[in-house]
Amino acid sequence: MDDYITRVVFRYVLLFILLYGLYIILHGHVSPGGGFAGGMVIGMGLLLYFLLFGLEWRAKLRRLPMDVALVFIGLGGILEAVKFLLPHEHGPVGMPGTLFSVGIISVVNFGIGLLVASTILSIFYLLVEED
Amino acid sequence: MFLWDKLPFLLIIIILLLCFVMPFFARWKPVVCPYLTVVTVIIVFVISVVLTFRVAGGEVIHYHAGDWPPPWGIEIFIDELAAMMLLLLTGSCLLIVFYSLKALTKEIPGPAIGWYYTLFLLTLASMMGIVVTNDLFNLYVMVEIVSIGAVGLVVAKGEKLSTEASLRYLMLATLGSGFMLFAIGFLYQVTGNLNMPYVAAELLEVRDQYPFLMWATLSFFTVGLGVKAALFPLHIWLPDAHSSAPSPSSAVLSGLVVKVYIISMLRIYFLVFGIEVFNETFLRSLILLLATMAILGGSLFAFVQLDLKRRLAYSTVAQIGYIFLGMGLGTVWGVTAALLHIIIHALMKICLFMSAGAVYYQTGRKKVIHFSGLGYQMPVTMAAFTIASLSMVGIPFFGGFITKYGLALGSLEANNPYFIVLIVVSGLLNAAYYFPIVWQAYFTSGHDPQMTMDKVPFTMLVPIIITALGIIYMGLFPGRILEFLEQVSIRLLL
Amino acid sequence: MDISMLWVNYPYFVAIILFCLGCLCILTQHNLVKKVIGINIMETGIFLFFIAVGNIEGGVAPIYDPTLPEGVLYINPLPSVLVLTGIVVSFSVTAFALAIIVKLYQFYGTVYAPDIMRLR
Repeated sequence: MDDYITRVVFRYVLLFILLYGLYIILHGHVSPGGGFAGGMVIGMGLLLYFLLFGLEWRAKLRRLPMDVALVFIGLGGILEAVKFLLPHEHGPVGMPGTLFSVGIISVVNFGIGLLVASTILSIFYLLVEED
Repeated sequence: MFLWDKLPFLLIIIILLLCFVMPFFARWKPVVCPYLTVVTVIIVFVISVVLTFRVAGGEVIHYHAGDWPPPWGIEIFIDELAAMMLLLLTGSCLLIVFYSLKALTKEIPGPAIGWYYTLFLLTLASMMGIVVTNDLFNLYVMVEIVSIGAVGLVVAKGEKLSTEASLRYLMLATLGSGFMLFAIGFLYQVTGNLNMPYVAAELLEVRDQYPFLMWATLSFFTVGLGVKAALFPLHIWLPDAHSSAPSPSSAVLSGLVVKVYIISMLRIYFLVFGIEVFNETFLRSLILLLATMAILGGSLFAFVQLDLKRRLAYSTVAQIGYIFLGMGLGTVWGVTAALLHIIIHALMKICLFMSAGAVYYQTGRKKVIHFSGLGYQMPVTMAAFTIASLSMVGIPFFGGFITKYGLALGSLEANNPYFIVLIVVSGLLNAAYYFPIVWQAYFTSGHDPQMTMDKVPFTMLVPIIITALGIIYMGLFPGRILEFLEQVSIRLLL
Repeated sequence: MDISMLWVNYPYFVAIILFCLGCLCILTQHNLVKKVIGINIMETGIFLFFIAVGNIEGGVAPIYDPTLPEGVLYINPLPSVLVLTGIVVSFSVTAFALAIIVKLYQFYGTVYAPDIMRLR
């Protein structure tokens, strides 16, 4: 994409997009949102980044995000499987309504976030590579 | 003990975890993937054997995911039916994986093999999930994953025909699961539960208040699962998809994937709605009518196909008709025969598709008319093929005869003896399209009728022999398994 | 049947209309991409139905909050969770179908179903 304004603005906005996604993931149990929504935000931000800058990378580097995404899909999946194997009271249970209050569910949310963000990236890359 | 309690869940989660790790290997070390798959399927097979022994000891296994008790959480429930299906699924998949180690090298492009095994494991895991789950929404999710995995197994070949067939399969499967999800929504709105026994208990009280909703829900379930299980007028995706897939995928799709939908249909009709609703509504006559059409129509369509795998695919449509016939009869013998046919048809179709794949592997022949003299070039493969086709026709001492006998008893039990005529006619039709192949292979002499041994690898030959022996065993000693299935069907029809 | 039932239960009617539109779109459109859009419309209808089942007039989001007054109504969270799962499933089906369509386009040079049937 050759839009100059988009590139300049997006370079500064990207960090805030990622931070917002992380915020949604971490506060998934005290406010609307959660792993899926936050992962979607992070994935869309990264996707926009690679759409704007990634296609002019060297051919060797261009496959790199796809590889990293594959690894993170595995990590996220393993973290998510925790919720089925461990009882739900596992981990620190503090005051309801605060950030650290749900034990293992935060970890699972984080795993879902990783999974969704990297899935979006890898789907994008698989579709782009077909050209 | 931690692992012993978690065993029913480990069954599924091991494979799903491996599916997350497998893309990593598929990208960098594709050589490892087949062996990793073999090891996993062996582990799962051992676990399901252990679970079957626990169930056979009189225990009914309940497992609550994440320790949430049933009305809130997902419940995994293994009774005799589920244990039988688990054993069938994992055992057949073990054979198919061994077969596909060598067979895939000629049928799909090299870089795709690692991804193929990922999809294969995903399909296996979610099929087991459909069989063991007790939660309606979880059933929907698993059904959707099976659709995606099965379409992936078809599209892996990367040819024009298979790509096109897989798109049609995906569209119709998604349409079907949309109908199913809507039906689940209706049930949830009326009963406020998703767990099947709780839904059934609520339905007993409220079903007279909402007669139209019951009709709508039943028809939505029938259409939604019927598309996926290839009930006759909804089967149009099946022949293309099953015949253009690589032969290990055809074996999985034809032998196992369509069956698990029928299992969940049985559960929903008989356990959730109950046999009274099934008898009162239009559903029973509809299923009997569609099954009759499937048996006749599938056989007639199969008769005119020249491509071997297409002929086998249409034969699947007809055989699914048998299972629905047993289900629609709604008597103990009928349902027993349907359950038995699920097992025996899985064995027969896997054997037939694997033999077709072996013939393609050695000689590259696909058409039926090119089979002349093949009985001398590939004696073992063609012997297995002959056994399976004899069983399909329903010759005594082979597995297929037992189900036909059971269906005949069931139709007498339901005061509907016309179906015996249907069964005999369909046996003749089966003979009309299976025996020409066998005749071609053995009795039309090629140029040099000297005996040679099969030149296909050992790992492909052994699964074919095992399935053929299984068919003969089912035909000779059906007593114990019939008793067992009778118990299961009595419990279903209660 | 009272005519006011139509107004009170309007989300259900909208859901069923969307579902039927999506089905029609899948079955009658010749353009493959439009068929995929039809899948999405159909599933949107179903999700709307689920959300309507779980909603309570005047309820708040189902997150426990000590500052809220006693006796406030929380909406039923379970249908929302089901819809979230359904969205993930529908998203992956859409991505998969689009990938297959890209491949078909490489083979045939068109996404128009009758042309594909003719070129076969």
